[in-house]
Amino acid sequence: MDARLRRVNKEIADCKNDKASGIKIELIDESPFHLKGIFPGPEGTPYAGGTFLVDIIIPESYPFQPVKMKFITKVYHPNVSSASGAICLDILKDAWSPVLTLKSTLISLQSLLCSPEPNDPQDAEVAKHFTTSKGSFEDTATYWTQIYAGGPGKKGVSTASSGDGKDEVAMAGLEKAHVDQFEALGFQRGKVIDVLRRLNYRGKNVTQISEDRVVEELLK
Amino acid sequence: MTTPPPSPPTAPRLRPAALPEIEDEPVKGPEQVTEDTDISTLTTAQVFDLNQSLLDEATGVTRPLIDEIAPISTLRAEYENGSPAFVRQIDWLTTKGYHYIRRTKGDGDCFYRSVAFAYVERMMHALNPAQAVEKGVATLKSTLPMLENVGFQRLAFEDFYDVLESLLLSIVTPQVTGKTLNAVGLLEAFQSPEVSNSIVVYLRLLTSAQIRIDPDAFAPFLFHPELGEPMEVREFCEHFVEAVNKEADHVQMTALSKVLQLNVNVAYLDGRNSNGLVDFVEFRSAPDANETPLALLYRPGHYDILVDSE
Repeated sequence: MDARLRRVNKEIADCKNDKASGIKIELIDESPFHLKGIFPGPEGTPYAGGTFLVDIIIPESYPFQPVKMKFITKVYHPNVSSASGAICLDILKDAWSPVLTLKSTLISLQSLLCSPEPNDPQDAEVAKHFTTSKGSFEDTATYWTQIYAGGPGKKGVSTASSGDGKDEVAMAGLEKAHVDQFEALGFQRGKVIDVLRRLNYRGKNVTQISEDRVVEELLK
Repeated sequence: MTTPPPSPPTAPRLRPAALPEIEDEPVKGPEQVTEDTDISTLTTAQVFDLNQSLLDEATGVTRPLIDEIAPISTLRAEYENGSPAFVRQIDWLTTKGYHYIRRTKGDGDCFYRSVAFAYVERMMHALNPAQAVEKGVATLKSTLPMLENVGFQRLAFEDFYDVLESLLLSIVTPQVTGKTLNAVGLLEAFQSPEVSNSIVVYLRLLTSAQIRIDPDAFAPFLFHPELGEPMEVREFCEHFVEAVNKEADHVQMTALSKVLQLNVNVAYLDGRNSNGLVDFVEFRSAPDANETPLALLYRPGHYDILVDSE
C-alpha cells in the first residue's frame, strides 16, 4: 500500500478510537485524501457550544508536506478569513512537521480559537475589530457561532430578529444606533453597514471618525 | 523532497485612498526572495539557496538529494575565480587527506541527510557488518520508547523508523531482490525522496527527543536562529528541529551525535582563516572515543559529506 494512504488510514482509525478529544474526521466523498474535520468550539470562548467543520486536503507528498485545511463553518476570528475560511497558522505552512497528524492539527486549530494572534492576521478587518474593542468583537464572534456553528448565543440577550433570522448589524459587529443614525440621513441600510464595518466604526474609533467622513464614504 | 519553485514577484497593489483595506491580509509564507530583495536582509541559508539555485539554473542541473562522490577539485574549481581564501582552505583539506566530497541538495535537510548517509555507509563498510548492524539496530530500537516518552504519537513516526531499520537490516540480510545493500543501492535509497526524507524526519525526531529529555543540557543554548532571542525547549524543537527543511546548528548536531552515539567532525570552510587552515568542530559521543569520526564539510548555510580516502 502507498505510504500516504497507510498513514492516513492509521490516523483516521486512531481518531475513531479516541472519544476523549472530541475531534472527528469523516470522508467527504470516496477519496481518502479529501476529508472533513469536526471539533467543538473551546469552552470559555465566544466559540463555545458551536461545532466547527474543516475542509481537509491531503497533498500528494503528505506527511512531508503540510495538510491543507480551511474552515467550512464561517468563523469570526482574526486569523481566519471571514469570507473564505482560509487559516493563518504556522504549522499549516513553514512550521509543518511530519510528526504532526490530522488530529493534532485540528487540536491546534481549536487552540487557535482560544488565542487569537491579531498581529499576524488572516482577516485584517476582524483583527482591527479585535484590537479596537475586544468586548464588541466577542459579541460578534458569539453571534457568528450562534448563526453558523449552532452555538447557544449570548445568554439573556434576545438576538432574534425578523426575516431570515440574521441580524446584519450584529453580524458586522456594529451598534444598531449608529446604523440607524446614518440610515436616517437617507442612505441604504446595507451600504451603511458596509461602510461602518470597513471604517471600523466601533469603540473609541467612533469619536475619532467624523460624521462628515462617514457621509463622504457613503456618497462614493 | 523538492523545494517549491519561487513564486513570481507580484505587482504592487494600489491602496484605496480613503478606506481601510478590505481584503484579507496576504497569507504570510516563508519570506520570498525576489529581485527586489536586499541581499543583506537574507540569512546565510537563504544566500546559499539563492547561490545554489542560480548556479543550478545556469548549468541546467537539478541537484539530486544526495550526489555521487566527486573529487574535491570540482569544489575548488567553483571558487577559483572567486574567493582565494576558500581555495586555500580547500587545498589545506586536500593535504590532510580529504580528496573527495559527496554533495547534498541545499534544502535545509542537508545536515541530517549527510549524517544519515555517512552513518549507514559506515555500517556497510564495517569490518564486521553483521555486528555493526546488530549494534546499530539495537541503538535505534531503544529510541522508540524515547520518542513516545517525549510525547510523539507512535503512528506518526513508526513508518519513518521502519524505513531506516529495514535499510540497515538490508546490509546483511538480502532484500526482496535477493541482494544485500551495496554502494549503488545505498545511493538509490538516499536519492529516492520517500526513503531519504523518511530517514531525515526520523533523525530530526531523534534530535528533538534528545533535547527534550535533557533540557538542562540544552536550554542555555536555545536561541531563535534569526532573532537571536532565547527560546523555550518545546518551541525551539517544534520550530527548528521537527519542522521540515529547517537548518541544523551546533545544538542539533550535539543532540544527534549523542542519540546515535556517533563521533562527528565538521570542517568549517568559511574563508575566514587567512592562513588557509580549516577549523574542525568535534562531536564525540561514540562509546569508543577513538572511533574514526564521520566527516562533514560546512560552508555557510550548507553541509556536504567529506570523504578522506587515498
